[in-house]
Amino acid sequence: MASHSLDHALSRQAPTSRTAERYARAAMLLALYALGFVLTHRLAAAWGGHGYYSLWFPAAGLRLALLWRVGARFTLPIALVELAVDLATGAVVVTTPDWPLAVFGAVRPVIAYGVTVFAIRQQLSRRAGRGGALFTAPMPFALASVLAPVAAALAAVPQALLRPDLTGITDVQAMVLSLNAFAIGDLLGVLLVAPPLLWAVDRLSGRQRAPLRAPRMALLMEAAGVLAVGLAIGAGLAWIDLGLQPAPVLVAIAWIGLRSGRVGAWSALLLVAAIVLPISANDMTTPARLQLHLGLATIVVTGYLAGSFADAQARARDDLARRDRLLFQAERLKTLRAMSVAVIHEISQPLSTLSIEARHLHESARDTPPEVAATAALIHAKATQLSDLVRRLRRYGGRAVDEPTPLPISILMESVLALARPELSAAGVGLAVGTVDGDLVVLGQEVELAQALMNLLRNAAQACGAGSEVTLTAAREGTNATLTVLNHCAPDQPPQPGMGVGTLVARAIVEAHGGTLARITDPAGTVRATIALPLIGDRP
Amino acid sequence: MNDPIVHVVDDDPDLGASVARLLRRHGFAAEPFVDPAALLAVYDIAPAHCIVTDVMMGDLDGFAFADRVRAIDDGVAIVFMTAWPTTANAVDSVRRYGGLDYLEKPIDEDRLLAAVTEGVAWSKARRTAHARTANLTPRERQVFDLLVQGHPNKVVADRLGLSPKTVEDHRAAVLAKTGANGLAQLIALTK
Repeated sequence: MASHSLDHALSRQAPTSRTAERYARAAMLLALYALGFVLTHRLAAAWGGHGYYSLWFPAAGLRLALLWRVGARFTLPIALVELAVDLATGAVVVTTPDWPLAVFGAVRPVIAYGVTVFAIRQQLSRRAGRGGALFTAPMPFALASVLAPVAAALAAVPQALLRPDLTGITDVQAMVLSLNAFAIGDLLGVLLVAPPLLWAVDRLSGRQRAPLRAPRMALLMEAAGVLAVGLAIGAGLAWIDLGLQPAPVLVAIAWIGLRSGRVGAWSALLLVAAIVLPISANDMTTPARLQLHLGLATIVVTGYLAGSFADAQARARDDLARRDRLLFQAERLKTLRAMSVAVIHEISQPLSTLSIEARHLHESARDTPPEVAATAALIHAKATQLSDLVRRLRRYGGRAVDEPTPLPISILMESVLALARPELSAAGVGLAVGTVDGDLVVLGQEVELAQALMNLLRNAAQACGAGSEVTLTAAREGTNATLTVLNHCAPDQPPQPGMGVGTLVARAIVEAHGGTLARITDPAGTVRATIALPLIGDRP
Repeated sequence: MNDPIVHVVDDDPDLGASVARLLRRHGFAAEPFVDPAALLAVYDIAPAHCIVTDVMMGDLDGFAFADRVRAIDDGVAIVFMTAWPTTANAVDSVRRYGGLDYLEKPIDEDRLLAAVTEGVAWSKARRTAHARTANLTPRERQVFDLLVQGHPNKVVADRLGLSPKTVEDHRAAVLAKTGANGLAQLIALTK
């Protein structure tokens, strides 16, 4: 009974408490963000300059990470938090007559970031799964990381042109310089801070549970060697008075990114940044620092894009291989289906006759010797059983097979519930459904998967009969989406062993989709059937 | 013999005979037919109240057969049975072909008997209604057709170019001949 009430809470009482919980979590996130924003702002001060924005602005990384994780709808709350911090620290003052412009100037970058994240996510969902390597994770995040700072810098152009007096920069050349510095600071901040932050958050929240893999030694050595050569050539060029040239390190980092993905690229970037940033902090003239950071930003953008692209291609390749396997399995399933439908047809024809005659025989054998009557009754019973079997088999199979497409679990559940609700309520079986994360997307054939899920629901309903309850929930488990069907028998109704055909068909379908179907029966007879299907990733 | 007449059409002779015997045991004068085309050829002299037909048959499928039977006799009820049930066919069989039911093989006997009983009742009611309107004169038939569409006497008179008085007379004749007790019962005859 305990699990009963739990599931009820899950499906019915949840909305209000869950909303409250969501608000509380959002408030906590924003408070954390405010704190992080203050700290990173302090950190950035060392690389600031008169008339410039900071040339290494980690707060931007914090901002993009948060926006990417919680979505563009948090743009306004984040903007308000930043504004509040700016007001509290005196970075924005509202005593001057131009205060509306100052306020807008403070929230403008956040809005530019929010719009960028929204636009990229929008493109992503529109092309879900078929955008090629450019729209395969982790490319979208890499694009957002590069485009958001650029968008924020561009968004500052109108005000810089119309009211140059506000920033104290009057000629156009200086303005372009200033905006470049702004973009460089944000780019460095975003690309160095956001990726590890998101990674850590995903780990801590359990969203990403794939085991950590140690890099291959050979690859590690290769990357270290390439980077060392790049740095050495750079140092050599500086030694012969050619200045700090980014090109050798740029080539090295691009190589590392393409070879070992974004983790390798980012680690190398961190190393380069750890060398450059202390040099450029404080005791450096502003033009020299700008020069140095321009070089660093070029390296960071190239390296991270190369790493992300390599990862995205690897992922696209995997998705393609999976799709091929799916199509192959679908073909096999189709043949199997066609055969079984033909067999069912062939059987049902003579069985119709047999069934009618067996009943007649049974009815007219009442006055015959008991032995004959018993035989007739048995023949009738078996014919009836066989007829039931054929009807049920027909219901389990025999539908067309479609192309595998990206399929949100929420849509799959919707279409299955439309079928299952009336069927279960007609059988007197209750159905409780958990809420579904709209981000769960798998690659599959909707009709097939709906059939698999439907079979499990039917089995669960059949096992306990009228008065029982079936629960359907969906969740994310590591890189899988899981769908769990659970039956609760009424206390006085022991579960009936169900027909295995439904499960067999469901298992064949799920395995054809690269997933698994697990059935666990506890001593009380509760059956927990769990379908696990690999997610197609839209996140880094 | 007064038992209601049922024709069973199935290209599987064993099944057709079996279903016919089943129906005979329940008081229907049922006959099996293996070839729908052969049945159509003799249908004029052997009309039925209800036809139970398979859908998938050799040359002439159940639906086409139903259309052709209906063309000869629109007072016969039709019940489909099939070993290849599909939702699309189930809907078509009722909507487009006026089937009374669509039965999956192996056949649910109780459902078959219920469908046939209902079909026979429907067929008899329809035949009775036909019989009652059968001896109207052509002019009375015209008046009847307009009246059952809900037109008042005046409109009927205008349409047919008659005087309201004449229409009144025809109306009385129609009621007398059909034994109907007012417009509502007249309309019921056309259902």
